[in-house]
Amino acid sequence: MPRILEKGQIEALESRAIPPIILPDPTRVFAARAARLAGLATDDPLGGYLGFAAALARAQEEVVGSPHRPAVDPAAIATALEHRMPPLPARGLTRGREWREILRRVAASLSDAQGFPDAVHVMAQRIGAAGDAELEAIAERLLSAEGRDRDPAAAPVVIAALQVYWVALAAGLDVGRLAMPEEAAVCPVCGMPPVASVVKATAPLDGYRYLHCGLCATEWHRVRVQCTQCGGSRGVALHSIEGRSPAIRAETCDGCRSYRKIFYLEHDAEVDPLADDLASIALDLLLAEADFHRASPNPWLWQPGP
Amino acid sequence: MVEVTRREFLKVTGMTLAGSSVAMLGFAPETAIAEVRQFKLARATETRNTCPYCSVACGILMYGLGDGAKNAKSSIFHIEGDPDHPVNRGTLCPKGASLIDFIHSEGRLLYPEYRAPRSDKWQRISWEEAYDKIARLLKKDRDANFVAKTADGLTVNRWLTTGVLAASASSNEAGYITHKVVRSLGILAFDNQARV
Repeated sequence: MPRILEKGQIEALESRAIPPIILPDPTRVFAARAARLAGLATDDPLGGYLGFAAALARAQEEVVGSPHRPAVDPAAIATALEHRMPPLPARGLTRGREWREILRRVAASLSDAQGFPDAVHVMAQRIGAAGDAELEAIAERLLSAEGRDRDPAAAPVVIAALQVYWVALAAGLDVGRLAMPEEAAVCPVCGMPPVASVVKATAPLDGYRYLHCGLCATEWHRVRVQCTQCGGSRGVALHSIEGRSPAIRAETCDGCRSYRKIFYLEHDAEVDPLADDLASIALDLLLAEADFHRASPNPWLWQPGP
Repeated sequence: MVEVTRREFLKVTGMTLAGSSVAMLGFAPETAIAEVRQFKLARATETRNTCPYCSVACGILMYGLGDGAKNAKSSIFHIEGDPDHPVNRGTLCPKGASLIDFIHSEGRLLYPEYRAPRSDKWQRISWEEAYDKIARLLKKDRDANFVAKTADGLTVNRWLTTGVLAASASSNEAGYITHKVVRSLGILAFDNQARV
């Protein structure tokens, strides 16, 4: 006799399923990141850069609760969702003016900050003095697919403002209506590449791997032991630095020679994907020597274009 | 050629760091670059597989160490349930949870062995010898005991004196082939999975 599920039973089974997408919590993302970076900065071989990153995350934390909650055209979001597309595409969304206000406030707090090289203050003042059109042009170049004419000094701060803007928008979405992207390396909310993977350690998500968006901090599930760039599972290995934290590794793929870092929260519950990626640059340097390529950059560490 | 330059762009080296956000904002990446010389890269693997014990077929992750070089033997040091597997969602029974001892067991069978009738010793034989021996014994038993028709003349074509227990961690395809081979010989006592 066929087993027919009664009304309500399917929903009950659904609760055991792996949550495919986790939207960011604006009140937590930046505060946790700032705290983590401040901790990492005490022993920083990057010459104090993590201290700067901590100040940047603190500035984000201060502005994220600002009175102007950004909003975008609900019709555009509805259309995107209907076609199973990212509803807040980094490349294509008409940004509201709120993000420039956020940027100016972040820049202002950095130009007041003490203990940083002059170049930080010069950059912060340059952003503070820039006109709307100029800021829009910088943002456009940073979010575009090509790596040309980017400004590595201003980039982390501009991205920081865009992160605040996108996180606030993403938090307002209905997670149930989002579609999982076919490509692992695309955020279901904004279409940007993930900064790293995180393997969760607390119930009910323990053991699941999530990719963490570098822009809107949305996390989406991906099966483990699978290259997040090409989808292959043969030749996937975990590289780490001998004798260092087992929480920080890189998932490398012999097939496409790329890697993304993967953080194991069971070994370190405080890991923040963006912060710890930045703080583990030694692993990047070693992997480059072993001829592996980073699948996507850290949004706060821009390198000169080709 | 866009792809090539973009990939090159994403290699993190001492040279690219010199023009990066770190350097452009007045911080010194040199310490980080110099520090790397004392570090060594370690390679580990997580390999997805199916628990071989029973018909539940739980997904497992096997953790191994080794640089993947052709001559180096990689060693599995830990096994746990695969959290992504729909059957067991990361859990394992006590048998499955002790699989690591199964792998490293000193008593683990690694090649065919034969104990002759009335002998108390196992002797190692080749796979060819093993196949020959098995085929010969199967044929002998089938020739002696195959039932083509029952006493009242009903055609049954069955062979009841031999049974087959096949593997539990095999694919649908392997199961199909096993079934075809076993049933075409007339064997009725056949299970493709061990039961717990």
